[in-house]
Amino acid sequence: MLALGYFTFRDLLHDRWRSLLTILSLAVVVVGYLLLASLAQAMVILSRQAKVTNNLLILAADTIDPMDSSIDEGVLQIAREIAPSQIQQAFPILFRHLTIDGKLMQVRSVALEEMSNSVALTLVQGDWPDSPRQVVVSEGAAELASWKIGSTVNIYGTDFQVAGLVRAEESAFGSVWMTYKEGLRLFGSSHGFQVGYLSLVPSADPESVRARLLADPRISAAYSVYLEHAFTNSYNQSNSNLLILSGLMVLISLLVVTFGVYNATILSLSERGLEIGLLHVIGFTLNKLRRFLLARTLVLTLIAYSLGWLISLVFINHQRLLDSVDLIFLALKLTPLSSLIGLGLAVIFAFLGVWLASRRLVAQNPLTGND
Amino acid sequence: MELTVRLAWEACLTTGTGLSKLIEANGLGKIYKRGNEEIIALRDGHLSVSQGEFIVIVGPSGGGKSTLLHLLGGIDRPTQGELHVNGVDLVSATDAALTRFRRDNIGFVFQFYNLLPSLNALDNVILPLLARGLPWKTSRQLGSSMLDQVGLAHRQKHTPGQLSGGEQQRVAIARAMVLEPCMILADEPTGDLDSSSSKSIISLMLDLNQRLGVTFIVATHNLDLLKVAGRAYQLVDGSLNIMSAR
Repeated sequence: MLALGYFTFRDLLHDRWRSLLTILSLAVVVVGYLLLASLAQAMVILSRQAKVTNNLLILAADTIDPMDSSIDEGVLQIAREIAPSQIQQAFPILFRHLTIDGKLMQVRSVALEEMSNSVALTLVQGDWPDSPRQVVVSEGAAELASWKIGSTVNIYGTDFQVAGLVRAEESAFGSVWMTYKEGLRLFGSSHGFQVGYLSLVPSADPESVRARLLADPRISAAYSVYLEHAFTNSYNQSNSNLLILSGLMVLISLLVVTFGVYNATILSLSERGLEIGLLHVIGFTLNKLRRFLLARTLVLTLIAYSLGWLISLVFINHQRLLDSVDLIFLALKLTPLSSLIGLGLAVIFAFLGVWLASRRLVAQNPLTGND
Repeated sequence: MELTVRLAWEACLTTGTGLSKLIEANGLGKIYKRGNEEIIALRDGHLSVSQGEFIVIVGPSGGGKSTLLHLLGGIDRPTQGELHVNGVDLVSATDAALTRFRRDNIGFVFQFYNLLPSLNALDNVILPLLARGLPWKTSRQLGSSMLDQVGLAHRQKHTPGQLSGGEQQRVAIARAMVLEPCMILADEPTGDLDSSSSKSIISLMLDLNQRLGVTFIVATHNLDLLKVAGRAYQLVDGSLNIMSAR
C-alpha cells in the first residue's frame, strides 16, 4: 500500500501537466453532467400534477394564458344566479406578468380573505398580509429573487413588504400575491379582471356545476369554465416539449459522464503504453498493474470530480440565464443524489477504462523496435 | 543485510530436476503472420547455455535477434520446437506462469534503457522487488546495494533525465540484476551509447558475469562485445549459427 501510494504520487507529480490536462478534461465532463442533470431535474417540476380541488375558474373564451383573459365583473353574478347553492364564494383575480427586481414573475391580486381561505395556497413561513402594502410570495419566487420575510419588493413603483412565503402546489410559477384592492390601484380596471374564481361547497359536483354554467349562453358565448386543477395541468401541458427535453437531457448527461470519463481514461493510459508494457515485462502481473493504474485513475477522477462539482456549484449559484423559462421558475440545484450518481458512474467507468486499456497495453513490450 | 530473495546465482541451476543446462532450445522457430503473409523470424534454432556463460548474438537488423531474446525471456512464444529455461517449459506455460518466470528468472536490459522517467534511480531499481512482493524497506536496502555495485551509489536520487546515457544504462542493469536473476537478456545495451560509455557498460556486464556468475545473453552490433564473449552466434534471416567459442 505504501509503495502504491508512493508511486502514484510520484507518477502524478512527475507528469503534472498531463495529469492537470486529464483532470481538466474530466472536470469539463463532470461539469457537463452536473449542469445537465440539475437542469433536467429542475424541469421535472413541469410534470408535477396539480392538486385536485373543488374549484372552478372562469376565463375569457379560448385563452390559455390568464394574462390574455379579460372578464367583466357581471359574470360572477351570473354564475351565482345559475348555481346559488353550490357556489360558496365567487371572486375576481387580477393577473399580470411583471418584471420585479429584474425577474419575471406572476402577480396575482385577490381579496385578502380569499387568499388564505379559498385559493390553493399553503402558508409555509411568516403571515398572511394584514395591510394593503404587504404581499406573500411563492417559495420559488423568494429563491429566485432572494427575498425573505420582511424584504421590500417594488412593484410598479410601489414598495411592498413580504409578509409570508406560500407554496402554490398547483403550479410551477414564481408568483407574488397582493390584495385585490391594491392590484386594482396599481393596474386599473380597464382590462377587467383575468380570472373568475368560483369556490364550491364541499358537496357540490364541480363537473355538473361547470356543465350548468356552460349551458347558459351568457357564459358560453364569451367565457370558458375550467376545473382549477385541469386548467393548471393544461397550462403545464403546453410545456410538454420541455418535459421530453428534460428526459433527453437526463439520458445525455448520464452518457456524458459515462463515455467522457471512459474515453479520457483510455486516452490517458494509451499514452503510457510503453511504460505499462515495461512493468509487465519486468514481472508486474496484470492484477498488480491494474491496482497501480486504478489508484492513479481514482486519484485523478476524484480530483476532477471535486473540481467539476465546485465549478458547477459556483455556476449554478451565479447563473442568470436559466432563471426562468417561459415564466416557469427553474431552480437549478446540485442534489446529493445526482452528485453521487455522477461520482459512482465516473469511478465505475474510469475503472472500466483501466481494465480494458490494461488488457490491450500489456500486449506491447519495450523490446519492440529492434529486430 | 538480510536478503529475502535468492542468495546466490548458483541457485538458478535447477537442483533436483536433473537438468544441467540453464537453456535448452531445440528446433526453435517463430513465424509471424501479417495478413496472409508468413514471416519466418527464427528457424530451427538450437541453443544450449550453461549457468555463468556470456553469450553474444550478432547479426543484421531484422535478422531475428530480438525475436530470439523475446522467446528466451518468455515475452513471446515459439511456434516450433522446444524451449526450457531454468527448467520451465516456455512453450506450454500459461501467461501468468510466464509473468512469474520473467520476474523470478530474467533481467532485461534494453537499448533505450526504458527507465520510468517519473522515478529516481533507486525507485527504478526496486521495481522488480516490489513486483515480487518484497517489503518496501527491504526493497530499498537491496536497491541501494545494487546501485552501489554498478557504481551509482551517489546518484540514487537522480531521475533518468538527470543522468547520462551510460548512467541510465547502469541503472537499467542494476534493475535487471536486483532480483538476482538466472540470466540477463540485453538487447543492444550499447546501441545508444558513445564509445566511452559503451566500454564502461561492457566492463560492468563482464564484471557481474565473472564476479557473480550471472548468465548474459547479449544481442548487439557492437563488435567489441565479440572479443569478450564466451560464445558468439550469428543470426541471419532467422538462422542461428555459432561463430566462435572459447
